[in-house]
Amino acid sequence: MSATVDALRTPGVAAPTGLLHRGWRRVLRRPASLVGGAVVLAFVAMALGAPWIARVDPAAADWKQIRKAPSVAHPFGTDDLGRDNFARVVWGSRVSMQAGVFSIVLAISIGVPLGLVAGYYRGALDQIVMRLTDAWLAFPFLILAIGLVTIMGPSLTNATVAIGLGATPTYIRLTRGLVLATAAEDYVHGARALGAGDARLMARHILPNIFSSLLVQATVSVPIAIIAEAVLSFLGLGVQPPTPSWGTMLNAAQQFLESAPWMAWWPGLAIFVLALSFNLAGDGLRDLLDPKDY
Amino acid sequence: MAEFLIRRVAISIVTLIVISVIVFTGVRMIPGDPARVMAGTDADAAGLEEIRAKYGLNDPIPVQYARWAALALQGDLGRSIRTRDPVMATVAKKLPITVELACLSVLIALALAIPAGVLAAVRRNTMWDVLASGASLCGVSIPNFWLGIMLILFFAVRLGWLPASGFVPLWESPLGNLQRMVMPAFVLGTALAAVLMRQTRNSMIGVLGADYIRTAYSKGLAGRAVIFRHAIRNSLIPVVTILGLQAGALMSGAVVTEQIFVVPGFGRLIVEAVFTRDYPVVQGVVLITASSYVLINLLVDVSYSLLDPRIRIGGAP
Repeated sequence: MSATVDALRTPGVAAPTGLLHRGWRRVLRRPASLVGGAVVLAFVAMALGAPWIARVDPAAADWKQIRKAPSVAHPFGTDDLGRDNFARVVWGSRVSMQAGVFSIVLAISIGVPLGLVAGYYRGALDQIVMRLTDAWLAFPFLILAIGLVTIMGPSLTNATVAIGLGATPTYIRLTRGLVLATAAEDYVHGARALGAGDARLMARHILPNIFSSLLVQATVSVPIAIIAEAVLSFLGLGVQPPTPSWGTMLNAAQQFLESAPWMAWWPGLAIFVLALSFNLAGDGLRDLLDPKDY
Repeated sequence: MAEFLIRRVAISIVTLIVISVIVFTGVRMIPGDPARVMAGTDADAAGLEEIRAKYGLNDPIPVQYARWAALALQGDLGRSIRTRDPVMATVAKKLPITVELACLSVLIALALAIPAGVLAAVRRNTMWDVLASGASLCGVSIPNFWLGIMLILFFAVRLGWLPASGFVPLWESPLGNLQRMVMPAFVLGTALAAVLMRQTRNSMIGVLGADYIRTAYSKGLAGRAVIFRHAIRNSLIPVVTILGLQAGALMSGAVVTEQIFVVPGFGRLIVEAVFTRDYPVVQGVVLITASSYVLINLLVDVSYSLLDPRIRIGGAP
């Protein structure tokens, strides 16, 4: 019997090459998305290769170089402690990527199973999960994160957890909605009639079909999480000094806007470019994966 | 209709109860003695005992929750550790400032988003559409606190046109108030405008394809009349819902914006409370924010269903 169930093809899991080819052609028609994707990859490379890209120690203070304007030696200038802003922006990408990606991985790993179970079994379980989700959603993202960081104490890990928990209800809602629609499909009924159990139906037939929508949502959530981490660090509730982070850099820059405006330019520009690139790449991905167009 | 209202109100009440449980549990998750947490580190034994007696901290947890919830319903959210003022009075003093900021930013957002969204939809796939959609994408991606810093840098430091920060009450000097509120309101408004513009564009595109618009055209109405009299009105209904859902994002945005522009509102209150470990204030602010969000969305849903009968027939989700 299980061989028969296996034999049931799950649509969308392995798209025929024709569809992939058509999707790729469509992405090529959106050069902005391609550029966005390339910039995101460049930031990933920057985060991974930080020690090789920035040869200067980002935490090394130099009292003779306090608040120096951009120059050949310090292309992004120096900060109030004489540290090299370029090195700090490069190293800061690690913090941003880490917080942005891990928080959303956390949100997905809590939200998707809860939404899956609620949407699949429905009934009382669904009601409990959804009322909890409604309450959870009522806490504005940042207020919830601030509340959680107050309880757990400020640090990068806690900020990441707080952002992840703040993003979780969106995934519960989205997954539940997608499961409700997918569970009514003929191929799910077919698999059930052939004897597939609940766990198998969810893992092999429903989850693969809602994967692309979840992936698209993730590309929307990561830039929001990156900005949220910068905000928490800016407020002093995220990364603690001397670890370089774009948010803490902007916090320091705020006090020297008149004498050293360059301190504010680069970290903010980095957040903006990274978030914009994620959003552009996400738009392309949505085009590529949107099943409505096939 | 009555069934829809009862169902919607019942869901909101359940949500509010769950919120209160989360906030109540959250404060009790802070490591250490809750009486010490509520009274502050400098409280003496008598002060601690008073707190324990008032909040019944020796009672079983469900009894404690019921008592706390009853006090909260009467507007008693405890006293600030720092100032000793009742939390409710502190909030009542700060809230109008944030409400003013929020209203101004919504006005700015609507003034930017609706014309841009309508133009993008009417001139779909033209340069206007690309420009409006690009601006919206930038609005979503730009960190609002950085935008705030850049505006200060340009308009206050470089040009000297506007004061960099601070606050003057509206009744003391309306002009001074506006001069200080325009930058924070713009910062808060741009992110909202980006979301609203996308929604306006999408919903306008949907409406422009509807049969009644074709009818309006075919009976000889001019293009402008069709768009202004028929299309815009109908396409704005979903925009109102999004505006309600964005109330939370507006609150989050206010926290950062008030911090940058030193506006002494609700958002700045919560950050100060976190740093001074003023737990009753943190608890009160979080509870009030989440409850307001539920109530705002209840109001939006109810008014929405009164305006558009199709929604009640569909029932609540």
